[in-house]
Amino acid sequence: MSMTHASAAPRQGAHLASGISISNVSHSYGAQGGGGMLALDGINLEIGDGEFHCLLGPSGCGKSTLLYLVGGFIPVQSGVISTAAGPVTAPGPDRSIVFQNFALFPWKTVKDNVLYGLKKAGYPSAEREERAQRYIDMVHLTGFENSYPSQLSGGMQQRAAIARTLAVDPGILLMDEPFGALDAQTRRVMQEELRAIWRDSRKTVVFVTHDVQEAVFLADRISIMSARPGRIQHIIDVNLPKDRGEEILENREFIGLSEHIWRLVREQAVAATRGVH
Amino acid sequence: MMNMAQARHIAPNMPTRKVPAPRAARAISPKTVDTLVQIAVVALLAGIWEFSARFGALNPFLLPPLSVVLGRIWEDLLAGTVLVDLGLTLYRALLGFVIGAVIGIPAGILMARSAVMRWFLDPLVSIGFPMPKIAFLPIFILWFDIYDTSKIIMVSFSCFFPIVAATYAGCSGLDKWPIWSARSLGAKERELLWEVYLPMAMPQIITGLQVALPTGMITTIVTEMLMGGRGVGGSMIMAGRFADSVGVFAGIVQIIILGFVVVKSLEIVRRRLLIWHPESRR
Amino acid sequence: MSDTLAGRRRPPGFGYTLIELAFRFSPLLLLAFFWEFLGLSGIVSQQMLPGLGEVFSAFVQMLVNGDLLYNTARSVSRAAGGLAAAVIVGVVVGLMMAQFRIARLLVNPIVQIFYPMPKSALIPVVMIWLGLGDSSKILLIFLGCLLPVVVGTYNGARGVNPFLLWSAASLGASRFDVLREVVLRGAMPDIINGCRTALAFSFILMVSSEFVIATDGVGFMISSLGDGGQYPAMFAAIFFVAGIGFGADRLYAMFARRSLRWREA
Repeated sequence: MSMTHASAAPRQGAHLASGISISNVSHSYGAQGGGGMLALDGINLEIGDGEFHCLLGPSGCGKSTLLYLVGGFIPVQSGVISTAAGPVTAPGPDRSIVFQNFALFPWKTVKDNVLYGLKKAGYPSAEREERAQRYIDMVHLTGFENSYPSQLSGGMQQRAAIARTLAVDPGILLMDEPFGALDAQTRRVMQEELRAIWRDSRKTVVFVTHDVQEAVFLADRISIMSARPGRIQHIIDVNLPKDRGEEILENREFIGLSEHIWRLVREQAVAATRGVH
Repeated sequence: MMNMAQARHIAPNMPTRKVPAPRAARAISPKTVDTLVQIAVVALLAGIWEFSARFGALNPFLLPPLSVVLGRIWEDLLAGTVLVDLGLTLYRALLGFVIGAVIGIPAGILMARSAVMRWFLDPLVSIGFPMPKIAFLPIFILWFDIYDTSKIIMVSFSCFFPIVAATYAGCSGLDKWPIWSARSLGAKERELLWEVYLPMAMPQIITGLQVALPTGMITTIVTEMLMGGRGVGGSMIMAGRFADSVGVFAGIVQIIILGFVVVKSLEIVRRRLLIWHPESRR
Repeated sequence: MSDTLAGRRRPPGFGYTLIELAFRFSPLLLLAFFWEFLGLSGIVSQQMLPGLGEVFSAFVQMLVNGDLLYNTARSVSRAAGGLAAAVIVGVVVGLMMAQFRIARLLVNPIVQIFYPMPKSALIPVVMIWLGLGDSSKILLIFLGCLLPVVVGTYNGARGVNPFLLWSAASLGASRFDVLREVVLRGAMPDIINGCRTALAFSFILMVSSEFVIATDGVGFMISSLGDGGQYPAMFAAIFFVAGIGFGADRLYAMFARRSLRWREA
């Protein structure tokens, strides 16, 4: 866990990659009437600089809540979350996010969506244009710059959302089941692309998913969470080759690890179902 | 593939605003607090009205104290004029509204189901819908004189367009699955109308009624003001002409209550009729 | 009611061929024949239903002597003034309500009480407050148009996908940026709808107030022509006003469609 870059990221240009330190974070919803629901219970997690970390767990385990806390979208109730820039208090472009339902601005074209964060960061106009185009090309949306989100398929919308987020060059990339709404084939392609982008850019990625294969395929480390209240049950290292492609699905280690994790997650899911009924 | 419990997650609260910090358990829910505060706001406004007028912050001619206005309503209530005025206004508005609906709903259904009717009515309705119907009032006065007939016809005329437009829109472009289901379960064309088309179009039809009723009330008031005679509008304009500001504000208070009751009643009817509809679930 | 009937299936704008247009509006021609027939056959007196030719020549005469345009300009300027003020104030108030609980608690009861009130009842009130001049009618139109805009803006702003707000914030937008660039922008479809209702109200209130209290304007013109028994001219003026109301709505619908192009798939 390196916390060496103590100063804030420069206004322009790259935000420095950074680890994330989550200590003793609990969170409950609807706490006012007394019958509040404890969503997260004493989470401790250190995510390393440049690590690809997956939060894996059944629905309702609070993995998205944890991600939103790291993003600064909902206020931390107890415990501390900090990055190289200090404790998290509000959303900011050093920790940019991709949501499951894309959250593109529907009234902006693909290009204007990508330009949005760049304008906020104060890039001069020529550089802004050049950068936006570079990221649009990178996610293979060349030719769709002037399309509105409603004119694109789900996979294309998600690629646009990823370009928008990557363009501001966040040190930490938060992903909230970003491929959950896509069909199986698109999903596979997107996973490979994301892995390649990460390998080249060395960002810290926190990726929320409930798909075991997706987690094993993408991550360096996986946190398996339990449901209600959300706790981290296991942290698993994924010691697979850095370069991962289609062929890794056949890899015996990959299959073995997937099955192992699948069993762990299944236990949590079963426990959660019993708890509810 | 992995088939886990996978209902799509949605953030348990949709925090567009600050989530209030957890506080000690309280007996009163935030919703009740909101309601109480809002009632307090109304009371406060009434208080400001009363005292600013009473203590000369405002010219009492421009805004007579609330107590004086309520006193006038009470007097008129005892004299019986309030109920006559309100009754007449309500009668004209509702009768006009009902006539508009009785003609408008079938016309809308016919437009959706018959090409000839659509050809004939579509241009009339699409021109009539956005135009200010009230401008036709002098024509109705010319044709039907200044008594109730012309008022009620004017109200029907202004209610008709939103109703027919909403019914037509509701009955065309229906989701085909329930219709196919009903057919495959053996429903005949005639039964489909009552058992499938109308219930499915009902939300939009009621929306049309909800647009039409306030429009009808606006129209009723204007016709009464223009033609004089009894009715809240007539009494108000008389009071205005005689510079009787207490009378004008007494009329406004009555109208506010009448409008509120009528509009809320229709909302209740909507909830009753659409109990099956997802919008009724809260 | 967000759309007129015809707009739904046909291409936007005036993309009809002449033949389609003639066919579509042929029922109007039919009505015109019926009108003439009623008059000529003597079933209805000429007094009650002046011939279309007479109405048309009265129209031309009013157009030439400037009466019609002068009064229309007077009316429309009042309506536009009241409507513009209502849109500006309404959008600001609606946004405030959506953003701040205090504003919501303060304004909501007022909206609840006054929304169902038939706004024409305010005619004698504005008369008491401001007399018979322009300002009373502008105030009436402002008050009548305000609430649809407030309610539309509020609903729209509350309905904006909260993930969009979060996205903007995580891309570096300030609170004010989010309000202006995401909340206001996202509320635009509802604001546009609210303004369309307000536009219709402005015409209704413009004509109504001029019927009841005015010394000029199209509403006044219509009622004084009626009082003077000049029925062909009265019919002409009424059709003209109805046509302006219709035209304003169509223009607005075209503008709305253009600015909401992003919603079309």
